[in-house]
Amino acid sequence: MDFDGLSVDQAPPITAPLRFFATAPLFAMLAGFFILFSDVATLSSRFAPQTIAIAHAVTIGFFSFVMFGALVQMLPVLAGVKISKVDLVSKVSYVSLLFGTFGMVFGLWFGLSKLLLAASLLLGGGFLLLIIAMLFAFRTVVHLNASIRAMITSLIFALLITILGVHLLASYGIGKVGSSHLLFANIHSVWAIFGFAGILIIGVAYHILPMFYVAPKFEPFFQRFAVLVVVVGLLLWLIFNLFAPSYAIVAKSIVASLFMAFAILAWLKLSARRRKVSDITIWYWKSAVIFMTLGTVSWVVNDFFDEKYSVVVSILIGGGFIFSIMSGMLYKIVPFLVWFHLNAKGYMTIPTMNEMINKKVAKWQFALFIFSLFGFVFSFFVVQLLGFFALAFIISMVLLELNIISAVLIYFKTIKTKPDFDMSMFTMKAE
Amino acid sequence: MSTIKGFLTEDHGRCDELFAKMEDEAAKSIENAKEAYEAFAKNSERHFQMEERVMFLEFEQKTGMTQGPTAIMRHEHVQMRNLLAEMGKAIEAKDKDKFFGNSETLMILMQQHNMKEEQMLYTMAQQHLSAESDRIVDMMQSMIVE
Repeated sequence: MDFDGLSVDQAPPITAPLRFFATAPLFAMLAGFFILFSDVATLSSRFAPQTIAIAHAVTIGFFSFVMFGALVQMLPVLAGVKISKVDLVSKVSYVSLLFGTFGMVFGLWFGLSKLLLAASLLLGGGFLLLIIAMLFAFRTVVHLNASIRAMITSLIFALLITILGVHLLASYGIGKVGSSHLLFANIHSVWAIFGFAGILIIGVAYHILPMFYVAPKFEPFFQRFAVLVVVVGLLLWLIFNLFAPSYAIVAKSIVASLFMAFAILAWLKLSARRRKVSDITIWYWKSAVIFMTLGTVSWVVNDFFDEKYSVVVSILIGGGFIFSIMSGMLYKIVPFLVWFHLNAKGYMTIPTMNEMINKKVAKWQFALFIFSLFGFVFSFFVVQLLGFFALAFIISMVLLELNIISAVLIYFKTIKTKPDFDMSMFTMKAE
Repeated sequence: MSTIKGFLTEDHGRCDELFAKMEDEAAKSIENAKEAYEAFAKNSERHFQMEERVMFLEFEQKTGMTQGPTAIMRHEHVQMRNLLAEMGKAIEAKDKDKFFGNSETLMILMQQHNMKEEQMLYTMAQQHLSAESDRIVDMMQSMIVE
């Protein structure tokens, strides 16, 4: 058995998750600028290069940066496993994902095929390195529970969508879009949202809600079967899509019902939480739950309208559900990491977690974010206002970045100025 | 009689409940939170000592690992005791912001800590000490806090 995960010294260096976290809002801002310079007519087509560029600035640039940053940090705690050479793995994958994402979104936006080819290699390499390193770390897991099973399952989906994604992007790069392209793109997006992000969020929620909010645990029955139902639903959906497309809605309904059940349960748990104190992260959880319900319903209903509202569905699920969870997580995890690493280095007079993030700014950030979400849906019907809501979104992301950076700056400032160094931290209590 | 793992895991739950109650009281009025704070602090200290003075010692004796997981857990106990002391000072000074800043930090630290114990250390302790499980739980229950 490996204890290294337990030790402060062996925990990944703070820069490993922080560089992912600090970069994520920048990509969201970039997505905001792209929206600002787009028109609704173009973005209404989910297969327009501009739409794909914006979608991936958010899904790769924001979602995956937050999720992988968090996984790098949390695997030792949540699963008791250690990623070997974590510093090197996270640095190499960060650089390759960073340039890969830039290459992809600008390549699509300006139609630069060579850039797209390079991006597909960089993104493929970066993701595969991280995913395989993590899956490899799980081989030493001792205590396999529902949460860890969910994490492993979501990483397997991540592996599959990466391979599909590399293929899709490279085919844009060489200008050979085959007849299977749309089907692959569909599998890629649905599995990414529900298989990778969705299952990961469910698995982490099992832990996070009882831990941070002293909420009741999810029912053992749900914990045992939820992920299985999603996996079966997603596989069925694939089979129907290949052989009997008209039945795909049945499989969709299974996946959607499960996520709705999860949304309702999460809402009930949050409402019954013993820790009544409400903060920005609770607001984000609640908005995530509401948007998850709206999003999954509209995902199914969309089928009856010839998928005319796919963009609205993406805004509700991607923007409302996943984005909310990711933002809430950043507000919890970044200040804690700063506090934890400073404390472990022996500094005692450091700001508390609440002092690291300006609550007023966080509230504005939340309000602007929700406002822009409703605005984006609204713009689908009243096209002239898109730019205005894009601006609100950009400002909200600037505020999010400021909040993260201010906590990070506290870390580096403390390291530099060394306000005190209390050796008593290292004395064990004598018996 | 419950197992070492079951007994200490249950006690974590008790600490969480007391923590929530303390925060609830402090949110209503920091002046009146003292009692709830003391209940939480007392229970936490008891939990730390049950581990440090009973279970960890037995574990270290049995496995010979004194610089392993128990050393790290002891170190985190020191961190948590410091935060608890800061919260006590904040209540004395009626400084609500300072109290919640520290309680939020303690909450996350405590949960990370509990998770590591429940996932790894308690499981290992249960394996190594299963024959003496009853005696050890009994000792922890009857221990008097110093």
